[in-house]
Amino acid sequence: MHLFLIYTVDGITNGMVYAAVALALVMIWRATRIINYAQGAMAMFTTYIALIVIRHGAPYWLGFVVALATGLVIGAVTERVLVRPVESRPPLNAVILSLGVLILLEAIAPMLFGGQTQSFPVPVSNTDLVVGGTSLDISPFALFTIGAVLVAMLLLFLVFQRTTLGLRMRAAAFNPEIARILGIRVGRMLTLGWGLAALLGALAGMLAAPSVYLYPSNMDEVLVFGFTGAIIGGLESPVGAVAGAVGVGLALSYVSGYVGSDLAPLGGFAILIVVLMLRPQGLFSFGRQRQV
Amino acid sequence: MLEVTDLTVAYGGVIALENVSLSVPEGSITAVLGANGAGKTTLVRTISGLIKPRRGSVMLGTQQLIGRSPEVIARLGVGHVPEGHGIVSELTVDENLRLGGLWRRDRADQRVAIEEAYELFPPLRVRRSVHASNLSGGERQMLSIGRAMVARPTALLLDEPSLGLAGGLLAQIMQRLVALVTERKLSVLLIEQNARSALSVADQAVVLSLGRVELRDTAERLAGDDALRHAYLGY
Repeated sequence: MHLFLIYTVDGITNGMVYAAVALALVMIWRATRIINYAQGAMAMFTTYIALIVIRHGAPYWLGFVVALATGLVIGAVTERVLVRPVESRPPLNAVILSLGVLILLEAIAPMLFGGQTQSFPVPVSNTDLVVGGTSLDISPFALFTIGAVLVAMLLLFLVFQRTTLGLRMRAAAFNPEIARILGIRVGRMLTLGWGLAALLGALAGMLAAPSVYLYPSNMDEVLVFGFTGAIIGGLESPVGAVAGAVGVGLALSYVSGYVGSDLAPLGGFAILIVVLMLRPQGLFSFGRQRQV
Repeated sequence: MLEVTDLTVAYGGVIALENVSLSVPEGSITAVLGANGAGKTTLVRTISGLIKPRRGSVMLGTQQLIGRSPEVIARLGVGHVPEGHGIVSELTVDENLRLGGLWRRDRADQRVAIEEAYELFPPLRVRRSVHASNLSGGERQMLSIGRAMVARPTALLLDEPSLGLAGGLLAQIMQRLVALVTERKLSVLLIEQNARSALSVADQAVVLSLGRVELRDTAERLAGDDALRHAYLGY
């Protein structure tokens, strides 16, 4: 029973990181109908930049802010420079483009940052909290991880639902043509949408790096698990993506705990394949069938 | 004054509009009639910037609209009520109305304009926090026109507002529209397949056929001349 509790806490913590990635994928999908396979690689890149800032003696939090800001810029520039020209083309062009960005970033990273695996600092302790002699089975960093993703989600929710900027972004995503004839600068909204998504990805990168370490392909698995969560959630629904991603986190944690940690990634792929085969529209989606 | 001069539009090699000229004076309605495929929707979509013409000019007052993007044309004062309403069904009625003038600087007047839209079409007020996907056809049309009016346009393009509406409701909406036209000095371009309804409110009428202006006259004369009506409008 105690082990179950430990696996559950681990699963939720990892699941929240996958949820940040899943939510970023959903935001980009809703705005531009593109799966951003480079989401993880972008996060790897921004995490390296944070590491450089921290290694130069700056406090962790400055590195944290720089990573998120860099994410915003990389996402926005990617949309404006690379995605915009393929937006009106067949969907396959965008798929190839985002895979190209993934390969490019993972190829450039070793040249810029070195290819070896590096450890990554945590802002708060990574060991379980102990209160009155009993362990609480959760570390301050795990609490920070869960809290940071929750806060990011809450802020995004408020921006999208409660501000006129959010209303503009939603209109641009739901119906770009109508938005344009109403005077909304749809291009800018899509650029901003990509920027915010990459910022969320950068957050996931910062939160994942202490446990998966930092190397050029360190976010590949995290991306697959986040993608699985997003697919389970139906790719359209932010709530579904978060629920799906936390579900994936829990499932992987139980597989790794009860069956063997080597099998965990395999479990993630297995879930993805099964979901794509049986319910490609996702568990939370009631819309029309989607091509996979 | 909305003035279209020698507008030619082609899709690939296919000519959709050829040398179309028409004008809509302030405070008046010009109906554009014609069968399916005559180029009516192409005409409004070109005016609002969604289609780039091969040549020609569209002036709104002293501003040339051709060559500008749809978002700029909207800001210059062109309201477009697209075919099939064009409401954003994922958003609420109130959010749809707010979208109409989000670009405007004058926040206070924006609130006044939204309030006016609810006064123009009271059924919308009751449904303000409902998702637009739950609206009836008539409510959608009201929402679409109300939303265009929130931006305080000087020209209004209406693409087939009669589509899917019962006669009585359509007449009601048209009546409101006519009142607005004189009150706000609007230039209205009214695209219609339903010629009878359009001619009853329009001042001028243009008949399009295969992308060309086949006939232009006052709405009154066109509606009153049986031979013309039979020949061009089929009723």
